[in-house]
This record gives sequence, C-alpha cells and structure tokens, in this order.
Amino acid sequence: MLVGTVVGHVWSTVKDPSLSGLRFLVVQPYTLGGEPTAETLVAVDPLGAGIGERVLVVFGRAARHAIGRGHDIGFQTAVAAIIDRMEFNDGASVGPTAAHDRPPAP
Amino acid sequence: MFLGRVVGEVWATRKMADLDGKRLLVIEALDERREPGASKVTPVVAADPLGAALGQRVIVAFGKAARVACGGDGDYAFEAAIVGIVDDFEIPQAPDSWRENAGGEPRAQRSAPARVERDAKPRKRGA
Repeated sequence: MLVGTVVGHVWSTVKDPSLSGLRFLVVQPYTLGGEPTAETLVAVDPLGAGIGERVLVVFGRAARHAIGRGHDIGFQTAVAAIIDRMEFNDGASVGPTAAHDRPPAP
Repeated sequence: MFLGRVVGEVWATRKMADLDGKRLLVIEALDERREPGASKVTPVVAADPLGAALGQRVIVAFGKAARVACGGDGDYAFEAAIVGIVDDFEIPQAPDSWRENAGGEPRAQRSAPARVERDAKPRKRGA
C-alpha cells in the first residue's frame, strides 16, 4: 500500500456492471524526495476523500475487501484510510493536506 | 518481499474498520539508495505487528504472507506487513548507507505487539 494525494475525480458511464455506483479518485503517489511522481493511479473511494487530501491506497484483495462488494469485482485499487498525519525520522511531517506539511528538522 | 528501512509512521482516523489498532509504518526500500543522489521513489506503507522502531531495517511481505503475519488470512484492508526485524546482514556489494544505524532504541513493548490508540498523539521527537 502507499500514500498519495487526491488530485481529481473520474466519472464513467460505460463500465463494467460490477463498478456501478462507485466513486473513482485520481491519486498521485507521495514520494520521500518531495518531487511529485509523473504517474497517477485511479482508486475506488468508499470513504469520501476530497481533492487535496492524503489517502492510503491498497491493492488487490485488500482493495476488493475495502470496496465491500465481494471479490468478483473489476477493480484492484481502493482508498482504505484518510491520513491525519505522517511523521518521518528526519523530523519532517506530513498533514492531511500539503498546507500542513513541515520540512525536515535542520 | 523486500528489505527496507522504517522511515516514518502514519496515523489515520477515517479508515476501514479492520485497520483499527494497526500500526502503519512508512518503509523505504534499501535498494532505492544504491545510486547516491538518485531521486527517491514512493515508499511503501506496511502494517507492523512486531513493533519495529523508526530507522530499523525490516523485511516486508505482501499479500497472503502479510495477512498471515498479522494473525489471520481473512479479509483485511491492507496487503503489506513487516514480517521480520533485521538483526544483521551480509551483502558484500551493499553500500555503506545500508549499514547506517539511523535507528533509535527498540520499542519498549517489543514483546507485546504495539497497540496504537486510535487517537494517540504522535510522540514528540526528542522528548
């Protein structure tokens, strides 16, 4: 699993029937260097995260379990938690949004 | 499965119920630092049933291995877990940075798996 920032929403009308009614988020993975990654991923959001919030993204069986519709579902990525805080051993910390971030201790 | 270093800890209030009480640590894979100055990549978040300390080197497993390490093979909303805390290793080509002991003291409650209060305040650094 990884932590990422919600950067958008996706809507889709023509899709696998097992996905009807699900909310899709676009998530940009968090990197330790602080530089944003080029790639983003799409995750189902059962919790209701908003743009700019940091979320914990899980994959595979854990994601299908988080979605809560059994294991015959056409998706493999989901939000399992909305992050309050991450604290690192160099003194840096990360809050629920980028506005709460604190740089490493000097 | 990979060898990594614990670089941080994550707290969340709004989460799937089966993450309640699970300690979540941020793990940086050790090979990511082979090239000095190489850009850092996305760290992995893993459940910690063993009580690893910040800075310690750990073995992380995924999937079923991770679920079993956390006490069952049922459905959990996570798929990565720490399955071992590394005492030592012998890897002749490993760079010196792998040996750096950035770790603090092992957690006091090492024998009893850490039970993180859901609303626990992050520990103050250096306090």
